[in-house]
Amino acid sequence: MEDQDILVVKGLKTWFPTKSGIIQRTVGYVKAVDGISFNVRKGETFGLVGESGSGKTTAARSILRLIETTAGEVYFDGTSVTTASRRELRKLRRQMQIIFQDPYASLDPRQTVNSMLMETMKIHGIASSRSEAHGRAIQLLQIVGLSEEHLYRFPHEFSGGQRQRVAVARVLAVNPEFLILDEPTSFLDVSVQAKVLNLLKELQDKLDLTYLFISHNLAVVHHMSDRVGVMYLGKIVELADKNAVYHFQKHPYTFHLMAAIPLPDPEARKKEVLLMGDVPSPVNIPSGCRFHPRCPWATDRCTKEEPPLYEEKGHLVACHYDIDFKSGEVKSER
Amino acid sequence: MKEKNVILEVKDLRLDFRTYRGRVKALNGVNLMLFKGEVLGLVGESGCGKSVTALTMINLLPENAEILGGQILLNGENLLEKSKSEIRTIRAKEIASVFQDPMTFLNPVLTIGTQLEETFKLNIDALKQAVTVQKTKGKDITYLDYLSLKEQPSNKSHKNNKVSRGEVKRITKALCLDILRIVKLPDPERILRQYPFELSGGMRQRCMIAMALARRPSVFIADEITTAVDVTIQAQILHLMRELRDVIETSTLMITHDLSVAAEIANRVAVMYGGNTVEMASTRKIFKEPLHPYTQMLMKAIPDITKLVERLESIPGIVPDLIDPPAGCRFHPRCPYGMPVCQGKFPSLKEVTENHEVACYLY
Amino acid sequence: MKKVGTEARTGEWAARWADFKYTLFLMRKNPLVMVGSIIAILFIALSLLATFIVDPNLATPRGYGGRYPFERRYVWSTNNIINWGPGIALYDGPEFFYLGTDGWGRDLLAMIILAIPVDIENAVIITVGASIFGTLLGALAGYIGGVFDETMLRITDIFLAFPGLVLALVFAAMFGRSIPTLRLAILLVWWPPYVRLMRGQILSEKAKAYVEALRALGAGHLRILFRHIIPNSIYPILVQATLDFGGVILTFSALMFLGFSPTPSLPELGNLAADGYGHMFDAPWLIIFPGLTMLLIALAFNLVGDGLRDVLDPRLRR
Repeated sequence: MEDQDILVVKGLKTWFPTKSGIIQRTVGYVKAVDGISFNVRKGETFGLVGESGSGKTTAARSILRLIETTAGEVYFDGTSVTTASRRELRKLRRQMQIIFQDPYASLDPRQTVNSMLMETMKIHGIASSRSEAHGRAIQLLQIVGLSEEHLYRFPHEFSGGQRQRVAVARVLAVNPEFLILDEPTSFLDVSVQAKVLNLLKELQDKLDLTYLFISHNLAVVHHMSDRVGVMYLGKIVELADKNAVYHFQKHPYTFHLMAAIPLPDPEARKKEVLLMGDVPSPVNIPSGCRFHPRCPWATDRCTKEEPPLYEEKGHLVACHYDIDFKSGEVKSER
Repeated sequence: MKEKNVILEVKDLRLDFRTYRGRVKALNGVNLMLFKGEVLGLVGESGCGKSVTALTMINLLPENAEILGGQILLNGENLLEKSKSEIRTIRAKEIASVFQDPMTFLNPVLTIGTQLEETFKLNIDALKQAVTVQKTKGKDITYLDYLSLKEQPSNKSHKNNKVSRGEVKRITKALCLDILRIVKLPDPERILRQYPFELSGGMRQRCMIAMALARRPSVFIADEITTAVDVTIQAQILHLMRELRDVIETSTLMITHDLSVAAEIANRVAVMYGGNTVEMASTRKIFKEPLHPYTQMLMKAIPDITKLVERLESIPGIVPDLIDPPAGCRFHPRCPYGMPVCQGKFPSLKEVTENHEVACYLY
Repeated sequence: MKKVGTEARTGEWAARWADFKYTLFLMRKNPLVMVGSIIAILFIALSLLATFIVDPNLATPRGYGGRYPFERRYVWSTNNIINWGPGIALYDGPEFFYLGTDGWGRDLLAMIILAIPVDIENAVIITVGASIFGTLLGALAGYIGGVFDETMLRITDIFLAFPGLVLALVFAAMFGRSIPTLRLAILLVWWPPYVRLMRGQILSEKAKAYVEALRALGAGHLRILFRHIIPNSIYPILVQATLDFGGVILTFSALMFLGFSPTPSLPELGNLAADGYGHMFDAPWLIIFPGLTMLLIALAFNLVGDGLRDVLDPRLRR
């Protein structure tokens, strides 16, 4: 672990037991997150991509300990999150925050914006007097591009983009250093998304924030992140610089993922690359390499041996083979 | 060049919603043109009226909607002048729609087979006709045959031949299997027996498409069908839609807020803003030479993985309040080229270059 | 600096007031609800003003030393004012009774008016008490979950398994015959449905995103439960309580009817009706009018409750 790593995740596993029978015996596990390890450096934006069932949302919640983990460790700025006491956890909550996906559901519909901001400040004892808190509330709204008149409105009076801004303001009220952004713009229109993403980038520069950006929208992750990790069925299958992951990927899944992105250019003649089959669910995890049932290059070894994360010059990939995707040939075996 | 004829045309459609806060002037003169056998991408952000337009076509509007004027011409006939029962027939046989969330649109307590059969049975006459044709032809009828039967007027002799219930049932089942194969669902026999919750999101979406195709529609409306699905599944569905367009020649109205999706699949694109159509042209032209300022700015707001930009160009201002919309061109408060004339009357959609229409005073 | 604080507070209140006005607007749209509301408000007004309209002394029963008279006949009074009723023999005063006399020789109309506050008070106390108690229990059960939840559910089930009236009778017999004890008896029967109702709401709210967001912000369980989840879940409880109003009155009246009244001559709708039961064929109005009053009260509050249910449904708003 280097000094500049603000978040260290080691072997994180979050399993949900499935119970059945009258006495609710545990018959199996949904292995939502099944062993992920990565570090996030201070000041960077780490992108986490994956489709539904990949476990990225569960990973986010596990890192913040909004769900109890099954195994593994998470360290924030040296402090262990997984073994923190309630008081330590509350302190950590000042530094690690999260913006949720659905701006329509993540705000209490019966609370005005003012009430939300005041409450947040009250929980953590920020601002010593009412008027100071009030002043800070106005300041926060201005930082996110809203104004004082928005203070006394209810969530339903705002548009989606504005609600996300309110969520950001609320989160900034505690002065965090690290922000997990869980699909913050998925429900927003394109032009609103652009504004919110610009705002996030601006805030990152101004307030020295570190982001963990989770999304299934690959173009957005590409725009925001410095490094990207690709998740599939609870594990990270590739992790590298943004450019490497998007244009020089090494894992077959990543390759198919990038090929499926629709481009805003009707003349981009792409070779038809279609990944067959459905996105699998973590209830039934295939043996060996998790991707082998859908992988066009799967071999016998793939069905039996689960590949670890091989490292090649800072580029991590969980695949036994080195494949040239343009030609489709397998170059070598790891 | 193929002879193009217009199968669905929307002319100057105006619509208001009556609400507690006032009248929401949702549609302010929408113009669309869908040609036979092609895909028209209807693109716009939330509140622009694209879904409302689609719902108006099939008359599924809520009670407080008030149509103020305009026409929706399906094969020349104005849908707005039809009675309720006529519209119901049209929904069953002419315009089929698929919506965003298949889980809420499929009946959870009926098997896929039952629902699909029900859809086919909406047109019993056609099934009976199919049975007689099958008997005369001697070989099994496929969905494509069933589709071409639509062109043939139903012969009186067909009606005279007695067709048994069992025969209708058998042919329905055969058509169900065939259509599931067409939408590339694996193991159709099994799927017919399954319930919606047993299928994945992508498969449910395909079932909905199958149910829409079962009605042999002249127009197929797909309202944000790829919005809620994963990227790889979205690619599969787009691939399917492309095949349907090429093989079956369905005329599709593809509603989406994702311009890239439109780029992938549409022949032509219509861009909507604030209840108006602001630009309509071939996909290539829209992307290469967008003329309307809104379209231009929208293009710049999309993150593109082939380019590296520091900031995304966003559009200043906010989405217009439709209860008190800006006068004239509804985009003018946010438009960098705003001129005084823009606040007057709304600029009508006119053809600026060949087959490229724009609603803007710049031209 | 003080101005800033008050500004904030007035801002909040202004926002909430506008919200409330919207609710009222929605209520106005349904004519039945309007009718129900007006009647309900009328009754509440009556219950507050009853003692000013009618002299409570009129409730003292006439007759032989306060006991029920045995005379049962019609008599024309000596001053040519026609009155009717079984107890007419006991009355020979100047006034004309619009609804006749009851068996005790009292003006039936006056008795009904005096009975209304008794019933409405009961309804309010019992409904409010039962709902608060049941709601709290349900909220804790739903939020805490686990063994506590299971235990609460079982206890609630036990109470629910008994037919309400029977259980109330048992309690009434155990506790004795004063108004407070009778209220307690009914309350004990009335709280279980609220537990289930609230628990269901809590469970569905608990799963919502804003709760998770609050936890991520560092809010503690108490704050989340009492300041966020409960206020968001309160509406069905409100609706149920309003609907229960009528039910409580009827149950209380049933108890009176079955003879649990503290004093036989107590002006209470059920009691008055019980009185009339004996005269069903020769003086049917004695049971009709009190019964009608009960019906009206129950109906009025039912309509209000229905209206509330439609209005507070979050999907129909905005």
